[in-house]
Amino acid sequence: MRAPVGVWATEAEQRPRATDGRAPDVFSRDGHVPMRQFEDGEDVDFAIVGTGCGGGVLAAKLAEAGLSVVAFDAGPFWRPLADFASDEREQDKVYWLDERLSDGDDPIELGSNNSGRCVGGSTVHFQMVALRFRPEWFAARSRLGYAVDWPVDWRTMWRYYAEVEDALKISGPVSYPWGPDRGRYPYRAHEVNAAGLVLARGAEALGVPWAATPLATVSAPRGKSPPCVYRGFCKIGCSTNAKQSVLVTYIPRALAAGAEIRDLAMVGRIESAGDGRVTGVHYHRDGQWRFQRARNVVVSGYSIETPRLLLNSATDRFPDGLANGSGTVGRYLMVHSNHAVWARFEEEIRWYKGPPSMAVCEHWNYVDDHPTKDFDGGYAFMSQGPLPVDFAKALVSNTGTFGTALRNRMAEYNHMAGLKIVGETMPQAENRVTLDEETDALGLRRARVTFSYADNDKRLFRHSLGFMKRMIEAAGGFDAYETSSTAHLMGGCRMGHSPEDSVTDADGRTWDVPNLWICDGSLMPTAGGVNPSMTILANAARIADRMKALAARGELAARHA
Amino acid sequence: MSEGRLVQRRVAGRGPVRSMNSRVTGRSHAAASAARWDTAIGSVGAALIVGLVTAVVAGRAMRRPIDRLPADRAALKVRDGAAILGASVLADSAMEHLRGGFYNPAMFAAPVTAAAVLSASVAEPDPRERTFAHGAHAAGAAVGATGLAFHLYDVGRRPGGASWQNFFYAAPIGAPGALLLAGLFGLASERIVAIEHLERHPRERLRIARLLAACSGLALLFESAEVALLHFRGAFHDPAMWLPVTVPPAAGLALLHHAARPSLHRDRLARLLTGTTGILGVVGTGFHVYGVGRHMGGWRNWRQNVLAGPPTPAPSSFWGLALIGLASLDLLAAEGLPR
Repeated sequence: MRAPVGVWATEAEQRPRATDGRAPDVFSRDGHVPMRQFEDGEDVDFAIVGTGCGGGVLAAKLAEAGLSVVAFDAGPFWRPLADFASDEREQDKVYWLDERLSDGDDPIELGSNNSGRCVGGSTVHFQMVALRFRPEWFAARSRLGYAVDWPVDWRTMWRYYAEVEDALKISGPVSYPWGPDRGRYPYRAHEVNAAGLVLARGAEALGVPWAATPLATVSAPRGKSPPCVYRGFCKIGCSTNAKQSVLVTYIPRALAAGAEIRDLAMVGRIESAGDGRVTGVHYHRDGQWRFQRARNVVVSGYSIETPRLLLNSATDRFPDGLANGSGTVGRYLMVHSNHAVWARFEEEIRWYKGPPSMAVCEHWNYVDDHPTKDFDGGYAFMSQGPLPVDFAKALVSNTGTFGTALRNRMAEYNHMAGLKIVGETMPQAENRVTLDEETDALGLRRARVTFSYADNDKRLFRHSLGFMKRMIEAAGGFDAYETSSTAHLMGGCRMGHSPEDSVTDADGRTWDVPNLWICDGSLMPTAGGVNPSMTILANAARIADRMKALAARGELAARHA
Repeated sequence: MSEGRLVQRRVAGRGPVRSMNSRVTGRSHAAASAARWDTAIGSVGAALIVGLVTAVVAGRAMRRPIDRLPADRAALKVRDGAAILGASVLADSAMEHLRGGFYNPAMFAAPVTAAAVLSASVAEPDPRERTFAHGAHAAGAAVGATGLAFHLYDVGRRPGGASWQNFFYAAPIGAPGALLLAGLFGLASERIVAIEHLERHPRERLRIARLLAACSGLALLFESAEVALLHFRGAFHDPAMWLPVTVPPAAGLALLHHAARPSLHRDRLARLLTGTTGILGVVGTGFHVYGVGRHMGGWRNWRQNVLAGPPTPAPSSFWGLALIGLASLDLLAAEGLPR
């Protein structure tokens, strides 16, 4: 007899599951897979802090190369089949909801679409939109004249995009209308839902291309993942495992290759020795602080927790925090503006069906010279499918609608469609993560996040609102209105060409500490106008190969060098 | 600078939400027993389809157990093939059009006509024109041809027009072709029976035999193209998915080659490949039954999965086409083959 969904979920948040030589089998409701374990005193090759797009990929690829790896995650180790419910409030459990302080001219709302707190990281609740950067963005300064260049060539990234797209069996269109050839997506695109067809009709009316969105949810069976059932709860956690999150792709690979995953293990401080090298991490698990020795430490905690950990690891030798000789740690934090236009339609749309964003238009990512284009950078926009609570919240906070008026608006839910951007923002030194005096339950200083839009950012989203309003009306929408929000985080510990204005080199190795690395979205020097997950994954896959190459040449402290 | 304090605290009262949620999504005892009942029904449903086809063939085998002339036997085999095609279309169009909610009343035409073709093909061949069987076969061909046009129209009217996306997910462009073929081969069987009256016209008999071989070869190529499109949509995620896009087209080409220049050598090759194609039609049904089980909830959730998963009735159409191909080989062999 099967237990109801959610019976074990609470336990996952209270006691570590990856213990006693076994870890949860994510493809079962209550099973396990064997897991290699290391002693705290054992000097492992890599201690990785975080198991999402950065840490998850690294853990798998490094363990597969024979290196000893322990990966920590502050959150639980879910089994989606048993632990995820079709309930928006219940699924708040997949977000990083620890208190943070948010200020600046345009304080960011933190906690849902820009954080994750579980094994697999934000990919457990991401919308699965699997887009590549436009090649020119890797050389934004020299090719397009804004922001900075990445220390990586786009052709290298192109190869790693292909690698991670195959690892996640991305379901994408046979031909993609923008950018250079990207080969064939491993799986075919899904059937576009009615909300996506609104974008398609509008795009055809305005004469711009559109495409079925490449998505990280399978359109045909893959191993133990069944094909997507178009349940529509993707962004609060997929309960069928059709979603190819890091939790069901790289994490099982990492475990099979001999990596240890420690769930409910919050790393609070990185220890460094007198010689300036790091020696391991202090982490809190099962009610006590412990110390794991490691030859190398990789921080993969994303744009807020990564700088927070480095800043919280200050010593006399590094008074401003680890790897912060340039003062860049925490700086150049970016978001994506997430402005949207919504409209009513005569016909029924039922936009909750299927993944939320099934059609995409990247037109304004690839147009440079157009009389109306008064901004640097670009934006993609996608069709939308918010769940009811999410949509009601957006209505209340953006339009102030309440009471009977709100009820009437919600009654139109099945006739609504929307278009929402992923808008590039400029890297600004003053947008940053710092430490507040206030401490959390573990005595760690909380992060303070400061964010203000630049003028260019505002011109960009104003442009997008005008264009999307025209498009949605061309598709037959009426009573259009606008909302604003943000999504994703990028930067905060950017990689770069020199120690003066960046935290790491192209390999993610910090300029100041030779055995301290960063591998996550905080490395991104620019934000680009697409969802960042594939770029973070590809960059992590690239960094893993660099680490393996360095280890093989003896330029990295590892036993198997 | 304004200092917002947009913080996230755990929402109080999550406990009750969770327990309520457990009740909502939990599976009750009644639901669990219903699931087992579903499993039985699911198997019955699958068995019905296989049983239907088997019964028809068995019935055919019992048809007038007298010595028949070669052309007569070939005509019966063609009709068996047409009947299997008809049964395949009947089940497939009924399921797929149900999936489409019979959105347009014209969608009823496909399963109804397919049923008529099926029964017409089971009937004893009769060279006369004013029979029910003749009318039903002709109607099958006409509805199949109209269906092709209709499905093409459905592809064209969607955003994106003639794009991969619409060929994958709009009305399947080749599917009504199976009904057209069932009707046409049914009509052909009547013609083959009439061969007996052409005893003194060996050239005409040879011409008909070669035409049938060529047509069955083309039909196999046509059907393989449809399978290739849909298996490409499934990203050939299982290596077995390559079988029906390699063996049947090879059989189709072998039949065409043999039709163009009949020889004993080419007969053997065509017979081997066409026979294998027929076996694949049966094996493929098993693969599709397995494929349905790989969808969320497996066969327990058959109500959704038989519609969302690979079409279980589809592969048997290769069995039907293979029988027709083999019949054409028999006819050609009866005329005598050069080495």
